[in-house]
Amino acid sequence: MQHIEQLLSALPEHDLTFLGSAPYVYHCHHFNLFHDQTVEDALGEDEAFSVRAQAAHDASRQLLSELVKSAGAETPAERLELAAATLPWMGHGKLELMTDAGGGRARGSYLHYGFTWREKYGSRVRRRHPADAFAAGYAAAATEVAFSLAPGSLRATEPACFACREPACEIEITEGGGHSDASLVDKEAFTQHVAAPAEGVEEAAVAKIAAGLKDFLRGLDGDERGLLQGFGVYVTRHLANYYDQTAYDTIHRVEKERPQVAGVVESLFGESGHVCVFYTFGGILASPEWEALVGPLRGEPEEIVVGCTAIARGLGFGHWTIGELVPGERLVMRSTSNYEAPFYRNRYGRSEKPRCYFFSNAARAFMQLAHKVDWSKRPRLDDALYQSLFKSDLAWDIEMTRCQTRGDALTEVVVTRHGS
Amino acid sequence: MSTDYLAQAARDVPSLRAVFVTAMPDCLLYDSWLAEGSEWKAEEIASYLGDLFRANREGLKALGSWSTEMQVSIESPEYNILLKELRSDFVLACVFDRDAALGMARLYTQRMLQRIAAALPSFQVEERPRGVRVMDFLNRYAPDPHAVLLRVSLRTGLPMEQLQRPEALALDHIAQIEKTAAGILGLESLNI
Repeated sequence: MQHIEQLLSALPEHDLTFLGSAPYVYHCHHFNLFHDQTVEDALGEDEAFSVRAQAAHDASRQLLSELVKSAGAETPAERLELAAATLPWMGHGKLELMTDAGGGRARGSYLHYGFTWREKYGSRVRRRHPADAFAAGYAAAATEVAFSLAPGSLRATEPACFACREPACEIEITEGGGHSDASLVDKEAFTQHVAAPAEGVEEAAVAKIAAGLKDFLRGLDGDERGLLQGFGVYVTRHLANYYDQTAYDTIHRVEKERPQVAGVVESLFGESGHVCVFYTFGGILASPEWEALVGPLRGEPEEIVVGCTAIARGLGFGHWTIGELVPGERLVMRSTSNYEAPFYRNRYGRSEKPRCYFFSNAARAFMQLAHKVDWSKRPRLDDALYQSLFKSDLAWDIEMTRCQTRGDALTEVVVTRHGS
Repeated sequence: MSTDYLAQAARDVPSLRAVFVTAMPDCLLYDSWLAEGSEWKAEEIASYLGDLFRANREGLKALGSWSTEMQVSIESPEYNILLKELRSDFVLACVFDRDAALGMARLYTQRMLQRIAAALPSFQVEERPRGVRVMDFLNRYAPDPHAVLLRVSLRTGLPMEQLQRPEALALDHIAQIEKTAAGILGLESLNI
C-alpha cells in the first residue's frame, strides 16, 4: 500500500499519528465493539447506525479526499480501487464497491465489526441489526470522492450483515444523505490543543519502549481477509475522529434528552477504556514481541505502569506521562496531548467539565493490571479474567483533576485505592 | 455445600462426578455433592442446568408431550448428564463420567432420585419477584456481564439505584426491563 504509506505522518513529540491530516490510532475489536454497543444502548439501534455511519462518512471522506489527490487517482475506477485497497490496510476487512454517481451496492467480506462481533458474541446472542456502520459510511464517502460529489450527497445502509448470520455483508448506497456541517478536525486543528510535551517518571524507559512499539506496529501486515491480527486481538488502524464524534455526539444527546442517565453513558464510554487496556495493553505485555523488545515481564507494578504508558504512546494515543506512582496506593497520569481533547475543543468548544473519558479510565485499568494480575503465571487474558478484575474486584477510584477539554493546560487523572 | 443425605445417596455410585439439586422456577442451587477434588462452581452449574430443564419442559409443553416422567440426557465428550424432575419445585442433575453406560447411569439416577426426594423438605415455594428474576437472567446470559446493569439503565432511562433494588421495581418498569433484556439477548421475549 504505497499510496497510503506516503500519507503517514506524525507529531512525534506528541505521540500522535496521522493519515494525511486525519488522526488515526490503533484499537482492538474488543474496544471497538464495546464502544459502538454503547452508542446503540444510548440511541437505539437504528439511530445509532445513522450516527456511526455519519461519523464514519465524515472521517473517511477526509482521508479519502487526500488519498486520491496524493495518489494522483483521476478516474472514478481508480479512486474506488484505491478506497477498496485502503480498508484492508486499516484492518477493516474487504469491500467490493459497485457504485456510480447515483449510488449502488457494496459487498463486504470479513468486515471488522460484523466479523469480530460474530466471533466474540455470536455463540451467545443473536444479533438482529447490522453492525457495519463504519464500512457503510466508508462506502458512501468513497463513492462521493470517486465521483467528485458534494459531501453528504449519499448515504448508506446495511440490509444484510454477517453478524446477523447472513452469509455476507451487503451495503446499499443511495442519494440523499444530507450535508454534514461538522467542521473538519485535522492535524492543524490538533496542534492548537496540545501542550508542550513534558517528561514524566521513568521518561527514558517509556520513550524507548514506545519508539520500539511504533516501529513494530508500522510493520504490522494484514492477512488475506483484510484483517490485522496481533497480541491475541484483531487490531484496526482506525480514524480517531470516528471514536470522538460518535462518543461526544452520543453523550451530548443523552445529556440533553435524558439527563438522568448522563452519568451512565459516561461510565460506559469509560468502561471501554478498561476493555482496551485489558485486552490490547495486556495482550501486548504478555506477548513474545514484548519479551523481545523489553525483556521478560516480572510483573512489578512500576514495570506494568511504565509499560502501559509506553504502549499508549505507541498506539498513537498521545503523550501520556506518569506524574507520580506510589505502588499499592496512587497513580497520577498526565497527558499533554491525547486524541480526545483536541477533537472536543475544535468541534464543541470548551467543556464545563472534564471529558477525557478514555484517558482517565485507561489510567485506572493500568493500576488494576499492575496490582491484581499475577503476570508471573502468564494468565490467559480472557473474558473470565476480565469479569473478575473489572466487575467484582475493581479496586481504584479516579478523579480527573485537570482536563484539556475544559481549557486546562494538560489533562491529569488521579487514581487512588478505593475508599482511601 | 453437601449435606449428609446427598453424600449418602451418592455413595458407591460408580463414575458419578456430581449431583445438583436446583430449586425451580428460579433455577437456584438448593444443594450439591461434588466428587473430591472437583473445582466446579455449583451455583453456576445448577442455574444453567435448571434453565436448560425449564426450557425443555416449556418446549415439550408447547408440543403437548410433557410429563413429569420426562428426563433430559446430555452426552458431552467427557460426561453423561441426566436431568430429572424431583418434584415440581426441584430438579435433580447427575453428572457421570462418559465411560458410564447410559443405562446404568439412568438406573442409578432413578435410585438417587427416590432417596433424595424422600429427604427434601416440604414447603410452599415462594416465587422471587419478577424484577429479581429478570435481572438474574440477564446477569447469567448477557454478554459483558460487568456492564449489564449500566446498559439496562442507559436503554431504559431508569437510574442505577432503582435497578440495584429489582425487588422494589414497579410493574411498568419491570415490563420495560424485560423488553430491554430481550433486546440485549437478541430474543423476541423472555421466557422466565
